[in-house]
Amino acid sequence: MTAPTSSRQLAWVFDLNKCIGCQTCSVACKVLWTREDGEKQQWWCSVNTMPGLGTPKDWESMGGGRDPQTGAPLPGHQPTREEFGGGFDYNYEEVFYGGTGGKAHLEPQGPRENRWAMNWDEDQGAGEWPNSYYFYMPRICNHCSEPTCMEACPTGALHKTDDGLVLRDEEVCMGDRFCMEACPYKKIYFNYERNVSQQCIGCFPRIEAGVAPVCVRQCPGRAVFIGFLDDAEGPVHKLVKEWNVALPLHPEAGTKPNVYYVPPLAPHRLRDDMSIDHDTPRIPKEYLESLFGPEVHDALATLKSEMETVRSGGSSEILKTLIAYRWHELLGPFTVDPATLTPEPTAHQET
Amino acid sequence: MKVERVDAGQGLADPWGQAWSALPATTVALNPVDYEAQPNRYIRAAWKDRPYGQTVEARVAAASDGDRLYIRVEWPDDPRPNAEFQDAASAIFPMNGTGALATMGDPEKPLALWFWEDGRPSPLRLVSRGPGVFRKDDGSELSARGACNNGAWGVVFAGPEAVAGKGKVGVAIWNGSNEERGGLAAVSQDWLQLETAEE
Ligand code: SF4
Ligand code: SF4
Repeated sequence: MTAPTSSRQLAWVFDLNKCIGCQTCSVACKVLWTREDGEKQQWWCSVNTMPGLGTPKDWESMGGGRDPQTGAPLPGHQPTREEFGGGFDYNYEEVFYGGTGGKAHLEPQGPRENRWAMNWDEDQGAGEWPNSYYFYMPRICNHCSEPTCMEACPTGALHKTDDGLVLRDEEVCMGDRFCMEACPYKKIYFNYERNVSQQCIGCFPRIEAGVAPVCVRQCPGRAVFIGFLDDAEGPVHKLVKEWNVALPLHPEAGTKPNVYYVPPLAPHRLRDDMSIDHDTPRIPKEYLESLFGPEVHDALATLKSEMETVRSGGSSEILKTLIAYRWHELLGPFTVDPATLTPEPTAHQET
Repeated sequence: MKVERVDAGQGLADPWGQAWSALPATTVALNPVDYEAQPNRYIRAAWKDRPYGQTVEARVAAASDGDRLYIRVEWPDDPRPNAEFQDAASAIFPMNGTGALATMGDPEKPLALWFWEDGRPSPLRLVSRGPGVFRKDDGSELSARGACNNGAWGVVFAGPEAVAGKGKVGVAIWNGSNEERGGLAAVSQDWLQLETAEE
C-alpha cells in the first residue's frame, strides 16, 4: 500500500526512568474522554508494569502489524472484553448503606476466576530478590505512520490527519473490528453499546486549541513530551532523531509508531554476597531488546555516559532535556493553559 | 417471487406470527461473498484459510400492505455460541437497476442494504460498494425485528415501498458464531424478482 501521508507528524516521548506509575495520565484521559455509554472498560492511555501481561491480557502475543519482509499486514487476534477486563461494578450499596459494618468490603462484582483489568499485574515484575525488577509503561495509540488498523478497515472509517494523528469517523465505523485485530499494539477498544471501535484521539481538540494532550500536561513526573517530529529545535526531535535515546516500542511490528520511550535503567545487580555486580544489568538485555530492538543498548549506553559526565562535573544537554527543568519544554508548541480557554457547552458538561 | 398483498395491521412485523405462515416462501441458494473481492489484503490474509458464508440457503417471503414492503428471511442458526460478534442479515436492493450480489455491489453499481443485527437497537440502511465497503445512510424509515425460534432465525424487514421498489431483492446472512462481519457473509446467488400483485 502507499503509506498515508500527513504534512507533519506529532510524536510523544515517555521517559520510563521518570514514570512513577501513578496513573495520573490514564485517569486524566479517562475523565476527559471515556465516560459515556459503553466506555467504562476503556483506557485509551493505559499504564502497566513491565514485564507483565499488560492490557489487554497478553497483548504482545496477539499478532497484527506487518510482515518484516513484505510489509503485508499480518493476521491478529481481536482482544475480547474478558482480555481487556475491567469496567467492574462494585458493591457500593452493600458497603456504604447495607448496615454490614466492617464485614463487607469493596470488591468487583461478578466471577472471581480469570478476573483482569488495566494494570491488574501491577508491580509483579520479574527476577528474584534481591535482583527483582520492574518498570512502568504508559501506552496510548501510537498514531503510526503506516497504521495497519487503517489498512484493515473496509469502510474507510480511519484516516491520518495533517498533524499525523490516526482518527476514526464514528459515523462511518461499522464495528467490524478488523482494526483491532490488525493493530499490533492492541490499543483499540470496542464499544459494545454503540457498536463502534474507539481509541486514543491524540486529544486533537486540545491540539487544535494549542493545549498539550492531557497525558502530557497532567504528568506529575514530567515524564512525557509532545511535539512535531520534524521540529529540529524541539526536545522530541532531539531525543528521537539526534541523540537516539528515545525508541519506538516493538519496531519490528512494522507500523512505524510515533510514541517513543526512553528505555529504563535499573539499579545494579547484587551478587550472592551482596556486593555490586557492575557488569550484568539487572533488567536482562534480551528483554529490553525484545521491546525496543537492538538500538536499546546504544540508547542506554548514551544515558549512562551522560550521567557519568555530569557526575564528574560536566554538563549534559541530554540530561537537562530529560530532567525538564522548565515544565513548558515538555509541551512543545502546545503551551496554552486550558484554564484560559472559554469552554463551549458540551454533552460532558454537568450543570 | 410474489409480493403478497396483505391488509395493514396483519401482524407482519412479527417474524414468527400467523400472517407469515399463510404466505408462500422461496428457498434461495447462498454463496460466500467473493473472496478475491474482499476489500483489502488484511482481510484476505486473515480469512485465506478460514471458511465463511457457509449458510447454504435461506427462505425468503415478501408482502406489502400498499404502503410498506415487508421482507421475511429465515435461516438455520449456527448452534455455537456468539461471543464477540452477533448474527445479522440484510435484504439487498439494487440502486441503479442492477448490481453484483456476489461482491455486494461495486463502486459503479452500489447496492442498498437493509441491515439487521441481533442486539443492535435499530436497523441500518447501508450503501454497499463492495464486500463490507459500507456507508451508513438514512435508515430512519426502516424497521426490523428478528427472533430465534427452534434453532432458526426469522427476521422481518419493513421499509417504504418506494425505497425498495426497484423490482429485485437479494439477501445476506452473517454468522456471528463464525465471527462474520463486513464482507464476510453468505449472499444470495441470484436476484429475486419482486412481482407486485396487481391492484
Ligand atoms: S502521569 Fe506520568 S508518571 Fe504518572 S503514570 Fe503517567 S507517564 Fe507515568
Ligand atoms: S497503534 Fe494501533 S491503532 Fe494506533 S495507529 Fe498504530 S496500528 Fe493503528
